[in-house]
Amino acid sequence: MPEERVLVLGAGTGGLVAANLLAYHGYKVTIVEKSDFHLFQPGMLWIAFKGHRPERYLRPVEDLVRPGVELVKGVVEKVDFAERKVTLGDGRSLSYDKIIVALGASLDYDAVPGHRQLFESIGDYFGGADAAAKFWSHFSKLTEGTLVVAAADPLYKCPPAPHKAAFLAADTLRRKGLLGKVKVVLALPFIHEYASETMAKIIGPKLREAGIEVKTMFTVDSIDVENKVINSLEGESIEYTLATVIPVHGGPRIEVNPPNAVDEDGYIKVNKYTLQVEGYDDAYAIGDCTNAPTSKTGVTAHLGAEVVVDRIMGFEARFTGRTNCPVVADGEAAFVISDYEHPPVPVRFSKMKRLMEDLFIAAYWSSLKYPEKWQAVFRAYFEATSPAVLGERGW
Amino acid sequence: MPEKIVVDARGMACPGPITKLVRAYRKAKKGDIIEVLATDPGFEPDVKAWAERTGNKIVELKKEGDVIKAVIEVTAK
Ligand SMILES: Cc1cc2nc3c(=O)[nH]c(=O)nc-3n(C[C@H](O)[C@H](O)[C@H](O)COP(=O)(O)OP(=O)(O)OC[C@H]3O[C@@H](n4cnc5c(N)ncnc54)[C@H](O)[C@@H]3O)c2cc1C
Repeated sequence: MPEERVLVLGAGTGGLVAANLLAYHGYKVTIVEKSDFHLFQPGMLWIAFKGHRPERYLRPVEDLVRPGVELVKGVVEKVDFAERKVTLGDGRSLSYDKIIVALGASLDYDAVPGHRQLFESIGDYFGGADAAAKFWSHFSKLTEGTLVVAAADPLYKCPPAPHKAAFLAADTLRRKGLLGKVKVVLALPFIHEYASETMAKIIGPKLREAGIEVKTMFTVDSIDVENKVINSLEGESIEYTLATVIPVHGGPRIEVNPPNAVDEDGYIKVNKYTLQVEGYDDAYAIGDCTNAPTSKTGVTAHLGAEVVVDRIMGFEARFTGRTNCPVVADGEAAFVISDYEHPPVPVRFSKMKRLMEDLFIAAYWSSLKYPEKWQAVFRAYFEATSPAVLGERGW
Repeated sequence: MPEKIVVDARGMACPGPITKLVRAYRKAKKGDIIEVLATDPGFEPDVKAWAERTGNKIVELKKEGDVIKAVIEVTAK
């Protein structure tokens, strides 16, 4: 039995995979989490735009950690890499031999004027399951006007999230016979209809087919909630009947020592291949809380957790920066597949890919608690679909 | 006082350089100079499209080896 004590901060996607995998390999693991429930974050889209019940995407954290993992409920306030010490909000402190920080990204509703007011009055599909249910209570009553789906910054979790929001919204409106009476406008902070031009060429026509109007180079700069107008940094305005804006993201809201272990946005600085915190060989950070130059997605958090567990066990594993962001349209899906060495390859929409995405979602809870059971399945998938294998021909 | 803001987006694949430019632009004020260094070949047409849409001025756009350098004067704010 390994003697090292590993401390994992955050029981989100990355933290749970890391903690449960380490426990499987016999490590003494402690995981710290502030919430009682783990939320499957993509579920917020289905709650907000399809009216799914929030319970479907929430599980008590204690049900997701396996025997051998000690769960500490608490708010992390300070991480001291130099002293190997973590301080919680209630004053408790925890020490460690190895640490894995997996605290996710934080959302800032105060970066853009009017945003907090919009969020508090109608919710959204980023700020939690309750916020998503609140948004549905407004969206489901919309019978005419303009729905605007926009973002306050180009850097946010799951790059195709606003596209999925627009597709799901248009689908709900179509099924109610309201598409047309309600116009769906997708306003994006990118040059093309998607951040990657290769994928924009595939996603753009799908958006048009679905009756969605796209505005590019529109980064939300202020929201006038009284007059229902959104203004962009690029100098344009859109009037709305109902609007949802992805908030500006940042690193976890904690104090870190040394202060230069985080970048100017609060993200923890890591070696992008080893995920080691710069300057510390006993500290790692995975998922959305890092400055690794890849997309902030559950897939990258999951793959990062596997790399870090391998490294703690003494193997030479390297994180590739692989993404697999699903773009879900009506009955079909495509994935945005890239890694550090390869920009996104062209991946076309198909019903088969939708089936795969639905299977990934169905496997989610099990893959968090028993990651070792899914390793062979996921490895086969990620190897067969690596951007180097798919190449310019795509998939 | 106009400031010069240097954005180093070398080694960042798409949408890296434009993401960094947009974030620098949010903090910039009229008269500031934003200098972006990028290696992503898509950056050249993208920065031109961005400047045209936002009404800001590209004072310099050149390629030195693999590195594209764009110097933008903030005129539209
Ligand atoms: C609308 C939407 C759709 C998405 N769709 C997809 C998708 O289709 N595919 C995909 O791969 N990804 C998707 N994502 C992204 C994905 O959910 C995240 O990238 C993923 O959850 C990141 O995992 P993580 O472990 O880094 O952070 P998280 O899962 O966010 O976990 C962080 C954990 O830390 C806890 N925490 C934070 N601060 C503290 C503190 N101070 N003290 C104690 N605990 C704390 C939080 O409560 C949380 O449990 C989507 C996200 C959104 C919002």
